[in-house]
Amino acid sequence: MGDGFHQLRVLDTCAVTEQATSFRFAVPTGLSGAFRWLAGQHLTLRFWIDGVEVRRSYSISETPSSGDPLRITVKRVEGGLVSNHINDRITAGDIVDVMPPFGGFCLEPEPKGRRTYYFFGAGSGITPLYAMIRTILVAEPYSVAYLAYGNANADSIIFREPLVDLENQTEGRLVVRHVLTSPSWMSSFSYWRRGRIDAEAIAAFIDEHPPYAQDAQYYVCGPGGMNTTVRAALQGLGVPDTRIHTESYGASEPPDDSVNGITATTSVRLNGASLVVPISAGQAVLDAVRASGANPPYSCESGVCGACRAHLRNGKVHLRARMALTDSDVERGIILTCQALPTTPQLAVEYD
Amino acid sequence: MGTNRGMPILPVSAYTSQEWFDREQERIFSRTWAFAGFAEDITEPGQYISVQAGLNNIFVVMGRDRRLRAFHNICRHRGTQLLRAVGQTQRAIVCPYHDWTYDLEGCLISVPAQEREFPELDLSKITLRRASTDLWRGMLWVHPDENAGSIMQWFGDVEPFLGPHKVEELVEYKEGRTEYDVRANWKIVVENYIDGYHLAHLHSGTLAMYDHSRIKAEFIGPHYAFWEPLSADYAENLEKNAPYPLVIPTEQAGAWVPMLFPGIGLGESESSWSLFHVTPLAPDLTRVVIRTRVADVSSWEFTRQSFRSFGFWSKRIGGKYEGDGDDPMASGDFTKEDIYACEQQQRSLKSPYFVHGPSSVEGEAGVRGHQELVRDWVGDG
Ligand code: FES
Ligand code: FES
Ligand SMILES: [Fe+2]
Repeated sequence: MGDGFHQLRVLDTCAVTEQATSFRFAVPTGLSGAFRWLAGQHLTLRFWIDGVEVRRSYSISETPSSGDPLRITVKRVEGGLVSNHINDRITAGDIVDVMPPFGGFCLEPEPKGRRTYYFFGAGSGITPLYAMIRTILVAEPYSVAYLAYGNANADSIIFREPLVDLENQTEGRLVVRHVLTSPSWMSSFSYWRRGRIDAEAIAAFIDEHPPYAQDAQYYVCGPGGMNTTVRAALQGLGVPDTRIHTESYGASEPPDDSVNGITATTSVRLNGASLVVPISAGQAVLDAVRASGANPPYSCESGVCGACRAHLRNGKVHLRARMALTDSDVERGIILTCQALPTTPQLAVEYD
Repeated sequence: MGTNRGMPILPVSAYTSQEWFDREQERIFSRTWAFAGFAEDITEPGQYISVQAGLNNIFVVMGRDRRLRAFHNICRHRGTQLLRAVGQTQRAIVCPYHDWTYDLEGCLISVPAQEREFPELDLSKITLRRASTDLWRGMLWVHPDENAGSIMQWFGDVEPFLGPHKVEELVEYKEGRTEYDVRANWKIVVENYIDGYHLAHLHSGTLAMYDHSRIKAEFIGPHYAFWEPLSADYAENLEKNAPYPLVIPTEQAGAWVPMLFPGIGLGESESSWSLFHVTPLAPDLTRVVIRTRVADVSSWEFTRQSFRSFGFWSKRIGGKYEGDGDDPMASGDFTKEDIYACEQQQRSLKSPYFVHGPSSVEGEAGVRGHQELVRDWVGDG
């Protein structure tokens, strides 16, 4: 299509909880190279809803190592435009615009590698972790995985049964421990702990499952706040930063809409050209630059992929989401233009 | 070539000279995974051990995340060894000489009187030299290279040729730990271990419970895999005749006696598991430490089992020759028989009349294989 999207057919769909559905895609042979993925990566989907183009990224929830089809699992977000559209409307046989897999939160198996993996996930943060766990079980036979998985209650656990099956089939190579914030009195489901995956739970988890393979790696995927908590708890136990891999889950995280953007003007440096672009109140920098007829880089429009990065040289913006940025990016003045709302009337933005 | 089969592969000097010894220390023992202990040697955060592995002294310490870290035991100031054999530290490692202090990631975190004595020193640039460590088969291993890679790159291929033992579930029989300083080159000790030809002869009185005619043995990479089944009369009533409570299912009973490279022998049998750890001390002196693990059952079970099997063993174990208890060949102990043979062999190497004799087709194939392996690792430069 020239804009990076390809049309893929939905093979089938499968409800995994009351709120979440899995979608599997058929990838034509000619595209199998472009759609090769690593466990943990995302797909960006594009829809037109009420005549407006919207894009969202979802983690791929299947391993690339088993030959199973490309799959995403989408949980409804309350009031969420796209997640509900997908759950309500998309069925087998539909054609969807999909951009090839991307993302740096990923796990590449090593057939002779031998590691202990600790996974900390909550809610739909399980989707990339599930792909990683399957990858280890299929393609890294000497490694083991421990998953601490947080949810509201037993019914909201995505992949609950498949995880039990994996645990049973793999002779101790996978251990799953459920942490529930509000377990139902009526449920007979037995969980490990009540509460959240906090410092205390993490210490107890590692105490109960100390690493046997000494190359331990820690993967975290949950809503923004959880990642910070888990990282801090792990650091508190002396885990070096290089072993901790985190990602906030993309489209499902409620954006920080506490700040409204103001009307502003921005200068833009893009591909060697300079232009001046007006931004209306509430409009993201990216949308304003696109509306001016220029061709800025972007992909997911949800703050996940980082394709729309630019340097903010002057002025201030509010970022509704910033998953694709590290702390040091933010310190250096990097912004995600798709998430940036002006809070000062004058901006200067420079693309790489 | 005749019955010589390419012998000698290694010259006599490989077993006698300091120069060969030094080259082996550098090129074999300082570049391979080395046995450092058992998993239970370090179980709590802050606990550490240090081991000599070839020319390297490496310490292993457990962090609060229960992960083991390995470092070269060398202070980055003037090289003093930081930690002694075993002990407990909290969050930091302090050099005894001038109190330079490192955290458990090996980063230098403090230097006494830094402002006056080292005003230009950037602490963040100085870290301990990292090494690698891992657990495998209940054993703790170290490698001097921080990028040694996965331990399964080294042991993965030989693992399917080892016994079904769950080593970490067996317990060490501490009183059974024995240590010998053998007056022979380490390669003679290893060659003896993998020589299938001698079993029925040197050990005719001590190892009759295995069927030496049905040995399966081959090199898997640098490691020598070796298996033999029980002899028929022992297997017939194994539950009664085993000297100790069984450690593996009866239908899998047999002996796996691999020699992992370099010089790490295992003896994995139906009723015990043991380590035969060979450390070269000098061209003609080798330390052998034997540590044994047995079923994790009560001492009453052991007493009962030795009672039950007493009759069987009393008829079958004895010295090769008659003699008093000081004579290894009358001891009824196969290790003493082996040591005796090794030391006698080493002594003959000094004789100007010594030449290599013919080498057997099957039983001594491993001996030739090990000599080739050492030659390839040591090179000729
Ligand atoms: S377009 Fe993906 S982060 Fe902005
Ligand atoms: S040698 Fe270690 S502090 Fe000086
Ligand atoms: Fe022997």
